[in-house]
Amino acid sequence: MPRAIRGVLIQCEPAIKSIIVHLDSVNNDIIIEDLDEQTLVVKENMVQLLKQKLEDRLKETYRPEEPLADSD
Amino acid sequence: MSLGGQQLLEYLEKLPGTAFRRLYQSPATALAIFRRMLSYHAKVIVRGLLYMPDPFPLTSLDIWFPPEGGGKIHRDRTIAALRSLHILQVSPPSKDRTQEIQITTSFKKGLQLAFEGGGEDGSFGVPSSLPVDPSIDIAYLDKYARKKWDDILHYVVNSLGVHGSSEGVSGPKASVKELLLAGRLVERRPDTRTGIGITQAGFTFLLQESNAQVWTLLLLWLEAADHAADSGMDSIDMLSFLFMLSSLELGTAYDTSALTETRRNMLPSLVDFGLIYFPRDTRQFFPTRLATTLTSTASALRTVSSAFTAATANPSGEPGTTTSTSGGPAATPDKTQTAAKGIIIETNYRIYAYTTSPLQIAVLALFCQLNMRFPNMVSGRLTRDSIRQAIGFGITADQIISYLHAHAHQQMVREATVTGKPVLPPTVVDQIRLWQLENERMQTTAGFLFKDFESTEEYAALSRYAEEIGVLVWKNDKRQLFFASKHEQLRDYLKSRKKGE
Repeated sequence: MPRAIRGVLIQCEPAIKSIIVHLDSVNNDIIIEDLDEQTLVVKENMVQLLKQKLEDRLKETYRPEEPLADSD
Repeated sequence: MSLGGQQLLEYLEKLPGTAFRRLYQSPATALAIFRRMLSYHAKVIVRGLLYMPDPFPLTSLDIWFPPEGGGKIHRDRTIAALRSLHILQVSPPSKDRTQEIQITTSFKKGLQLAFEGGGEDGSFGVPSSLPVDPSIDIAYLDKYARKKWDDILHYVVNSLGVHGSSEGVSGPKASVKELLLAGRLVERRPDTRTGIGITQAGFTFLLQESNAQVWTLLLLWLEAADHAADSGMDSIDMLSFLFMLSSLELGTAYDTSALTETRRNMLPSLVDFGLIYFPRDTRQFFPTRLATTLTSTASALRTVSSAFTAATANPSGEPGTTTSTSGGPAATPDKTQTAAKGIIIETNYRIYAYTTSPLQIAVLALFCQLNMRFPNMVSGRLTRDSIRQAIGFGITADQIISYLHAHAHQQMVREATVTGKPVLPPTVVDQIRLWQLENERMQTTAGFLFKDFESTEEYAALSRYAEEIGVLVWKNDKRQLFFASKHEQLRDYLKSRKKGE
């Protein structure tokens, strides 16, 4: 019999995936199965945490919006 | 299918087969499921097979689903949907017989009874024979239901602690508040003024159309009953009762003594939700529009926008003080008031909302940066940060766009009709979507990873079947892995395949 493992499929760019793999390498508690360059399966309960960590990591690339000169 | 129907479908799919057998004993349920939950093609199959005495060969369905043009996938998906609702039985595949399908006995009996009439008395409610108070007419019931429902919405919104007062709003009953808490639409937060705070699910709830909102709350209620097993409430019977309510006629009084005791015990909760009106000291109850539109596609009580206008138009509207004479203006508030109000959005992302409703302003504040407030309007703008914040709350770009579209000012709608252009400026719509994409670095799908197949054939058969019933999300033939969003039917398929060998 084949096995069915509950999890969340994540499809993303290779760059994002490599960040996820990096985050996982600390405790190995996120990834269930690494599928290919753009796909992996992670634990259901880790998705929120993962999203948050990813957001923190990507904040470095975020440019704050310049306030508009004109008035309302 | 609307959002409300979708939620209900997900709930139903989790029920065991025995639950369905009990549900379908009631003709009202069978009819409601048939009317509301089935696609056009599924209805065609059910209608065709309903009075067929013998099982029907599966291959003969090809007449209705011509194999060219993707008919097979369509057919298999329809059948999978019907099977998940325990409406259709399919005989297991074997070498010497063709596969056959038939309607399950319980559903067949229920739907036939619904079409022909007969069976147990009162399955569609028993109208009361007692004299009816003439002041309780449809306008009165609409007003009553609207007030009840707005109280609930106000409670959720006020938990935001944004501008506006809650004068004239009595708030829902404690039981409803607990339900909202248990369903995590709001949560306890000691730091806010009201002691509670809205959650992501609460935001999504606010932006839903009212029929979907009603179902959200009712499903929470059913789940709560499931968890509290000692409450004497039976979620299957409750669901069955809701389906019955949805088949009743608006403006008619029904006899409470025709109900079983458990169902009579449900009435107070339904009164709290505004689904029924229950005059004191009588043995009558009236279903409101919230109840009678539960399983129909007719527009429910009102949209979110008219709830806003209704909330402000009548701040002191106590249901007890109105009489049928005020029913006239109350019956048509949607048309008269939304005409004068609405949101104007310009290509430079500026927003002008002609409203005085604290509810609407609070909702706008979810995704706009509001700058000024005037006696009859607020102005603000959509910014990358405001949209990002909204997405952080769990609101999607499509929800925002459809909200803006649904509440666009009449002048924008008129302009769009004359020039043949879209109502909302395309640049703004695109930008909202782009801002969302920026945030969604990854796409997530919950489900099951299938691996460790015994043979290539097994993998090929199962992944093909998953694709046919529409649950396949991702696959890799080389590594013999695939990901499916659901696993129940795949498990059954594997079992029947093992038997067939």
